[in-house]
Amino acid sequence: MIKKPVLWTMVSLVVLASMMLVSCAPAATEAPAATEPPAAEPATEAPAAAEVPFTVMPGGELEKAVTGAYTGTTVTVDGAMEGNDPDGVKFSEGVKAFEDATGITVNYIGNKEFEATISVRVEAGDAPDIADFPQPGKAAGYVKDGLIADVKDFLPESWLSQQYNQSWRDMATIDGIEAGVFHRFNGKSLVWYPKDDWDAAGYQIPTTWDELMTLNQQIADDGDTPWCIGIESGAATGWVATDWTEDMMLRTTSLENYDAWVAGTLPFDSPEVKKAIETWSELWFNDAYVFGGRSSIGSTTFQAAPVPMFDDPPKCWMHKQGNFVTGFFPEGSEADVDYGFFYFPPVDDSYGKPFLVAGDVMVMFNDRPEVRALMEYFTVPESASGFLQGGGALAAHQTATPDMYGVDLEAGIAQLVVEATSFRFDASDLMPGEVGAGSFWEHITSYVAGSEDLDTALKAIDATWPE
Amino acid sequence: MKSGKRQKQVASLVVNGTLLLLVLIWTVPTLGIFVSSFRNRNDISSSGWWKIFPYRDWLPVREIDTKAAGLDPNGVMEVEGTSGTFEEFRAGIETPDGKRLTWIGNKRLGKIEVQELVWTATWNFTMDNYEQVLGGQDFTFTKPDGSEYIVPGDNMTGAFLNSLSVAVPSTVIPILIAAFAAYAFAWMKFPGRREMFILIVALLVVPLQIALVPILRDYKALNLNGTFLAIWLAHTGFGLALATYLLYNYISSLPRDILESAFIDGASHFTVFTRLILPLSVPALASFAIFQFLWVWNDYLVALIFLGGNPEFELVTQRMAAIAGARGQDWHLLTAGAFVSMILPLLVFFSLQRYFVRGLLAGSVKG
Repeated sequence: MIKKPVLWTMVSLVVLASMMLVSCAPAATEAPAATEPPAAEPATEAPAAAEVPFTVMPGGELEKAVTGAYTGTTVTVDGAMEGNDPDGVKFSEGVKAFEDATGITVNYIGNKEFEATISVRVEAGDAPDIADFPQPGKAAGYVKDGLIADVKDFLPESWLSQQYNQSWRDMATIDGIEAGVFHRFNGKSLVWYPKDDWDAAGYQIPTTWDELMTLNQQIADDGDTPWCIGIESGAATGWVATDWTEDMMLRTTSLENYDAWVAGTLPFDSPEVKKAIETWSELWFNDAYVFGGRSSIGSTTFQAAPVPMFDDPPKCWMHKQGNFVTGFFPEGSEADVDYGFFYFPPVDDSYGKPFLVAGDVMVMFNDRPEVRALMEYFTVPESASGFLQGGGALAAHQTATPDMYGVDLEAGIAQLVVEATSFRFDASDLMPGEVGAGSFWEHITSYVAGSEDLDTALKAIDATWPE
Repeated sequence: MKSGKRQKQVASLVVNGTLLLLVLIWTVPTLGIFVSSFRNRNDISSSGWWKIFPYRDWLPVREIDTKAAGLDPNGVMEVEGTSGTFEEFRAGIETPDGKRLTWIGNKRLGKIEVQELVWTATWNFTMDNYEQVLGGQDFTFTKPDGSEYIVPGDNMTGAFLNSLSVAVPSTVIPILIAAFAAYAFAWMKFPGRREMFILIVALLVVPLQIALVPILRDYKALNLNGTFLAIWLAHTGFGLALATYLLYNYISSLPRDILESAFIDGASHFTVFTRLILPLSVPALASFAIFQFLWVWNDYLVALIFLGGNPEFELVTQRMAAIAGARGQDWHLLTAGAFVSMILPLLVFFSLQRYFVRGLLAGSVKG
């Protein structure tokens, strides 16, 4: 019994200590904001404005911001990467120049549960100033609710068309308003291969689908399986197969059909979509062509899939994935030595050299001058400099030049994108969530696993398309 | 007599054996993660953690250059007295002297390894995972001119302090309030006591997720978003129903005589509560404290909503999510991360453990 008071004293001490700890923390974070506001200094800032390390649109809010007009304000950005994971750090590196030049603090609050938390935040009237949507389709609901500002309201047509290829602007247009500006993207039409072994074996990079199929047979005859494929990705299992389908759609039918498919006017159960899926099925369902055979595709995680390519000797020779896949390659693998990449070859020459991409679009929820300034900053490639210098994504701006890239690999992919005759956004990311992030994944997985035939799977996907 | 003893022995052997087996089954995954946390990513994905135990495997003794030996993989090949086709060599041909000849690689790049079956174990341990989890990852950037610069990542210290700052008050505040409430429900007579208690029990089944949006809206109006006070209040509210219910069961089962003699001696309710009830309910308080602490420590969602608006206040759970990377490319760090984030809950559990079983039983005795 005598011990009890001691226990309570300890408990209250701990509580007190943690409360003190807490009361110190916010003070430390608020201090910079409190010391900066004396905004009587624009006069000294003005000369520096000319030296900012990025392009500034004349007559916009960013031009005012670099003179210090909004110093001390904060802009909140939400997104799908954690603030201090590799992508989050690259993002922060990209906006650092903006913060230094304008005195505006960019408060990045994103996390992996972005899709869930943003809907809670918006619902509660606590929307971030800017949200970084990896899937433009997800922003559509907020556009319909009238929560998102049209970028044409504050960015002139001439500036937008100078910064962006029209395709990017089309992809950011939802329900007739230009809902956001693209910031960065991933190229998806890429095939990776173990370069040193590949050269030693004397294989040639295929430039057409026929050449690719010949190469597959050649590698199989030499005793190896040409491909490593894995589609397991937890709740998102199947997205790798949707990427292949999209790439095949671009290669076996017209862009008009692709767009109609995205919009829902060309059903999944149409000869075009069927043909696209059947084309890649030739490769996937040939046990001699896939490491582990067809049955292992569904159970191999997309993260682990490329790893056998790096075994010595390689267990497979090709892997198709977006440029972010380098993060999953074994540590110490060197670009151009241990691995290289080539363009996923076209099937039918008449459809040119299409390129499949996916990217992040910035949309503005709260219209304030300093938020406009940051949106404007996102329209220049320097805002993505963290990714260009740290790897993992490319700048979506047509004003981005190869010499902005610090990483040769990304510069090479950017070059491929420039050479492409057309490019389209990942269809499943544009389709309504029920389909693009639901039934499409689910039924294509059943099809790959063999538990559904193609017709049943495609009809089932069509049935889930919202009215 | 004797056979009875024998029977008892057999019975206890069966029971203990079964328990031991269950304990082993429960522990094996943890052991696997623990071993994996000391292995690098390539090892984890290429071989199982159980390869740290000795096993027999074919290891190469020497290699034969197939090109120099002039072998044609398309026909039947003759290698050191053993002949076979490419497929046979690829699967491995055992020679009479206990060796095995295996073709490694494909027909173009192949070599033949002479292998022997030996005992081996994969002992390739590293502290890298722990270093990256505790010390933070470094991110390298290459400027267009080729120069590199490194941005250091966050370490765990801040996340640990933040998690503590959230978890300790979020445990203590609901317990204090619930103890008061439980006492009132158990020993004080006031109108509506029964109805209010039923209401609290009913609140036990309300999922906290449905409260997120309304609370966030209120917090925004009160300007509380992203503050520690916000999350303390949220956890207090979410934990209060269960706490009150558990403590009520315990406190109402305390012997009536003690309280009555105290009242006769002129003690007020407050005196009885602080001098008698609190000291007597330490087992129940401690066992609930463990529950609540573990729940708050492991919470990700509530923190994300109410504290997520402030990146300065990153908790351990959020840090863990960040460590794996946006696309899960650094999944191997989660093994080490799991053990690091486990340390504190384990400490709390073991230091309060002696109350735990007593506390759990406490509420259940009273019908």
